[in-house]
Amino acid sequence: MGIVGAAVGEAVLILQQPEPPPWLAVLVPSVAVVYGVTGLMAWVRRPSSRLGFLIVVGGGVWLLAGLDNVAVPVLSAVGVVTQTLALGVIVHLLLAFPTGRLHRRAERVVVVAAYAVCLVLQVPQYLFASGGPLSIADRPQLAEMGLQAQRAAGAVVVGALAVVLVGRLRSADVGQRRVLAPLAVYGIFALLAVPVSSAIATSLFDGGGLVLPVMQLAVLALVPIAFAVSASRGGFARTADIAELGAWLGADEIARPALRRALAATLGDGSLELLFRLPGEEALVDDRGAPVSRPAPGGGRGVVGIDLAGTPVGAIVYDAEVLDSPEEIREAGRVVALAVDRERLIVQLRASRSRIAAAADDERRRIARDLHDGLQSRLVFLAVQAGTGAPPDIVRGGIEAAIDELRELVDGVMPAQLTERGLPQAVEDLADRLPTPVVLDVAGLERRLAPDVETAAYFVVCEAVVNAVKHAGSSTLAVSLQRIDGRLRIEVADRGGGGVAPGRGMRGMADRVEAVGGVLAVHSSPGVGTRIEAVIPCES
Amino acid sequence: MIGEDQVLMREGLRLVLERAGFEIVGVAADATELVRRVRGLRPDLVVADIRMPPGHADDGLRAVLKLRAERPELPVMLLSQHVQRRYATELLEAGDHGVGYLLKQRIADLDTFVGDIHRLLDGETVLDPVVVAAIIDRPRADDPLKALTARQREVLALMAEGRSNAAIAAQLAITEKAVVRHVSHIYEELGIDRRDADHRRVLAVVRYLSK
Repeated sequence: MGIVGAAVGEAVLILQQPEPPPWLAVLVPSVAVVYGVTGLMAWVRRPSSRLGFLIVVGGGVWLLAGLDNVAVPVLSAVGVVTQTLALGVIVHLLLAFPTGRLHRRAERVVVVAAYAVCLVLQVPQYLFASGGPLSIADRPQLAEMGLQAQRAAGAVVVGALAVVLVGRLRSADVGQRRVLAPLAVYGIFALLAVPVSSAIATSLFDGGGLVLPVMQLAVLALVPIAFAVSASRGGFARTADIAELGAWLGADEIARPALRRALAATLGDGSLELLFRLPGEEALVDDRGAPVSRPAPGGGRGVVGIDLAGTPVGAIVYDAEVLDSPEEIREAGRVVALAVDRERLIVQLRASRSRIAAAADDERRRIARDLHDGLQSRLVFLAVQAGTGAPPDIVRGGIEAAIDELRELVDGVMPAQLTERGLPQAVEDLADRLPTPVVLDVAGLERRLAPDVETAAYFVVCEAVVNAVKHAGSSTLAVSLQRIDGRLRIEVADRGGGGVAPGRGMRGMADRVEAVGGVLAVHSSPGVGTRIEAVIPCES
Repeated sequence: MIGEDQVLMREGLRLVLERAGFEIVGVAADATELVRRVRGLRPDLVVADIRMPPGHADDGLRAVLKLRAERPELPVMLLSQHVQRRYATELLEAGDHGVGYLLKQRIADLDTFVGDIHRLLDGETVLDPVVVAAIIDRPRADDPLKALTARQREVLALMAEGRSNAAIAAQLAITEKAVVRHVSHIYEELGIDRRDADHRRVLAVVRYLSK
């Protein structure tokens, strides 16, 4: 409103002077209004970006420049001084898009140079003008030289601007480039259009008529609109406020888009990634649980961690070109921390599920291979023997060997004792077949456990003792199975070398235990040995 | 009397036993039926699978133990897809007179199998070599068998399978006197009471080694 008021005021002042050129009275303040309104709209949409503010400043500059036409000498002087300042603002806008801030040294140099051209090289033109409020001498040649110098320097600045913009376009991704390229082209066109068209008009038509200034003003008035539209398009879109994130989090679970998309839309960075830190693990993982390496510093990607009550739960990786205020991202991270914490548990579950599925597939492949390579070839060989008249004893011996092999295979898939008798007996049977003596301590397992608990417990013991026998080189093994207060406590301890690293087998064990609601812990220290402990809930 | 839920296996057993001159008075496809029919038909021999309906676990073993409790002299031969030290121990706990425990595949060797059945009917014990191996080769923190020579271990294994001294002598191609010498040395080493009658010694050995 202030801007519109000032513009109307200026129009009135312009109209009050003798012999007013009527179109000027409307046009120059109108351009100021266009800048002001679009700037304010951009500012409201993205308060964190200074782009809107900069466009509003541009509107102010247009108002100042428009004072040139006012009859009051002081005001007119201001207008004369700021006559070409609006072009400097356009250079500034082009380089500061989309954040409204200048990030590189080259960008700052170009902007300062642009303002210098607009303000300093303007000086000879009004000091040596024939007339005007600031004229100190009527030296048209000097004024003309000043104008030429300004044009030449302006051309250099525009050239430098083009170089910087091309550099930015090169490093931008496709989505950003689609927005940046037309904007840069239009901006440079607008910058060149005014002096070039004026020069052409002056040389060809000796001062031109009314059409040229109207066209020039129209070209320049479109600049803020182009910026405002671009700022809300493509990779720079921002559709919601951070406060709205909170409202979204409270919304219906099912109707909700993914957390990442909501963050990306809110912060206006389509390339934004949401990473999770799983409980007890150092690495960051994506939403499928796959580890992701942190982006290298200075690579155009920024990282902000998300903490919940001091515990790191995840991180936001963003485009440092688009978002330059880590504090704002951190704030968004704080808003979504609770949801990220919940989401990371889902990610963890998803990852363990896919590992279990993969383990089952591996197991199936192993069984298929054993059946195919072992049993099938043995049976084929037997068929050949029988067909070629081998003695029945030989054939029978072969068949018995095949039966033995089948029995061992079946036992490996699901031990008979586990189905027939239960956990302690199956573990005892397992111990019988180990080369290392096992001290077995069983308590509270007179009644059978649920089949899934038994199976999980058995395979944990199996994996643990096989590992111990294979790697620990221990002379004794202690296995303890105890049901206390509705929980089954499994402990496998060796006196081997210790220092067991949590590997794939360990992960598989943990997955199995977690699948039945339990927890697994591995204590391994060199010299003491390894102790694997699992606690699984079981109704007593 | 045959207790076996798998038709192929049941008919195979019937074939083998009928060929060897036995009369099959009845068959049962689950453990409950087995107990009921044995009580009714009072056969001279029960051949049963360990894993049977209704529980598909060790139902056959439990049915046989129940029947032995009622008729301690009833000869029983348990067959199984796999052997368990524990099952052998439990079976022998109920008396080692006329009990057998073999892998199912042993019925393919007709002569040996029929020979085993006859030994059973004579009141002897028959244990599968695999069961015996499981008992003897089991890892122990303090192995009482490490003082035995390889030959003595062989003799011990055959003893545990239920072989007589004469059979052991024949199999190892040594004199019966040598077998007796090995046996007494083994008894001494393991601290088994040597007054046990010949057929009691399986139980003694197995019980000792299952400790």
